[in-house]
Amino acid sequence: MTATITDKKILMKGNYAIANAAVLAGCQCYFGYPITPQSEIGEFMSGKMQELHRAYVSAESELAAINMTIGACSTGVKAMTSSSSCAVALMQEGLSYATSDQLPIVLVSVMRGGPGLGNIYPSQGDYFQATRGGGNGDYHLIVLAPSTVQECADLTYKAFYLAQKYRNPTVLLADGLLGQMMEPVKFKPYPYPEIDNSDWALDGAKGRDGRIIRSYAPLADDQCIFLEKLFNKYKQLEENETEWEEIGTEDADIILIAFGSTARNVKTAAKICRQKGLKVGVLRPITLFPFPSKRISELSKSAKKIYSVEVNMGQMIQDIKLAVNGQAPVELINRPVGNPPAPEEIVSRIEESI
Amino acid sequence: MEKDFIIAGFGGQGVLLAGEVLANAFMLDDKNVTWYPSYGAEMRGGTVNCTVVMSDEEVSAVQKTSADFIIVLNQASFDKYTSWVKKGGSIIVNSSLAAIKKTRDDINYIFVPITKMAQETLGNIKMSNILSLGILSKISKLVSIETLEKALHNVIPPHRAHLIPKNIQALKLGYEYDLLKI
Repeated sequence: MTATITDKKILMKGNYAIANAAVLAGCQCYFGYPITPQSEIGEFMSGKMQELHRAYVSAESELAAINMTIGACSTGVKAMTSSSSCAVALMQEGLSYATSDQLPIVLVSVMRGGPGLGNIYPSQGDYFQATRGGGNGDYHLIVLAPSTVQECADLTYKAFYLAQKYRNPTVLLADGLLGQMMEPVKFKPYPYPEIDNSDWALDGAKGRDGRIIRSYAPLADDQCIFLEKLFNKYKQLEENETEWEEIGTEDADIILIAFGSTARNVKTAAKICRQKGLKVGVLRPITLFPFPSKRISELSKSAKKIYSVEVNMGQMIQDIKLAVNGQAPVELINRPVGNPPAPEEIVSRIEESI
Repeated sequence: MEKDFIIAGFGGQGVLLAGEVLANAFMLDDKNVTWYPSYGAEMRGGTVNCTVVMSDEEVSAVQKTSADFIIVLNQASFDKYTSWVKKGGSIIVNSSLAAIKKTRDDINYIFVPITKMAQETLGNIKMSNILSLGILSKISKLVSIETLEKALHNVIPPHRAHLIPKNIQALKLGYEYDLLKI
């Protein structure tokens, strides 16, 4: 399974699309430890990276993989790792450190069932893991959520770009369904400018003083200054990079909010509702951090009800409720784990409550 | 318009590959299409299936609990998927490995001794999966043999290219099977 830049559509699994896009984005180093349902990413990289004389390391553990990624990124090259749920859990310390180190690492997280070892079926149970994180301290990861295989490719490009631009770890949050399904995809060339990192990369200190990248500020004031700076970055992210898709929200009484693979079913549910004369619209967050809170707040002023549709026990609904802030009732339509609720199921839940 | 397809059988019968060829054919016809495998804690000799959704619009749900056309290559899949066929839909049954028995009167049954034909005419039971696509092409009229041929070139890797002529032969054998013989 190889592909290069092409105008021709190729039928491809989401996992391969992510891996191919990472290579085209200029990823120089991949470190990973296999886990279903994302193993195809490592498989693809093991061949392709070698072919291109780039670095591929099958790490001895997820801890090693995330720390190798941190090490590679500190030298200024694009580097990534990929994993899934219970193994991304092992990387949380590294993500906190990488945020503090301001390193542009890219993590592909292909969600499966949890908690614990769980199972290998699709899930959105790691919304909290990605947007809140399990590492220590005040930090955020940039989180992008693809909904199609084409977006798996396009948002992988974007993940590398945003990580570099903001010097912040970035997560591409897919799930087992997107990873395993095939859909036609086109690979355009990496569309973003390269970011100059010559002012911070540890590239040998030839002709200049040495530099240190560290996540340690022993003086209280220094850490205050750093955190203000970090959160100023998050404010800029919110202003400039928040991305979402909206369908039929102009006159909607009911708004369905869903991300990732679940949004596919939700769009069809909204279409069926429209055919039945119900004014239903869809908002799909593409960036989960920054979350489209402002837009959801605006929409909630005129909406009669908002639903969060998720494959978990209700996680994104917390961010929606914060955004809505009591301006409209917010309810959950969910499935704990597995494939998203069928469109008909979503429609009947809406009809029941009218 | 959206049409849903399920292909099911034993692990090893090439069910996923047949689905990939079908999905590629729809892509070549400029349709929107998704392919989704059954995956989980699978074992050799167990059942396997994939769902292919073809649509003029963006494909929504990729996994279905009903389909317009279902191909079943063994008895276990026949038993499981008969109830999944949409009213007025069709089920293609490999009668070499499943008993000829009709339990519904609102669907079309197409019984074809697929494995036997693959063995006797093509000399290779591994051709059963592609042969079944030839039958599907004829009864569904949704994909042509020519497009399926092109799709084969997309799916079969270069180091197995020598198998393409045999697969094309399998497609034609399925397509030309006299359905009135049933």
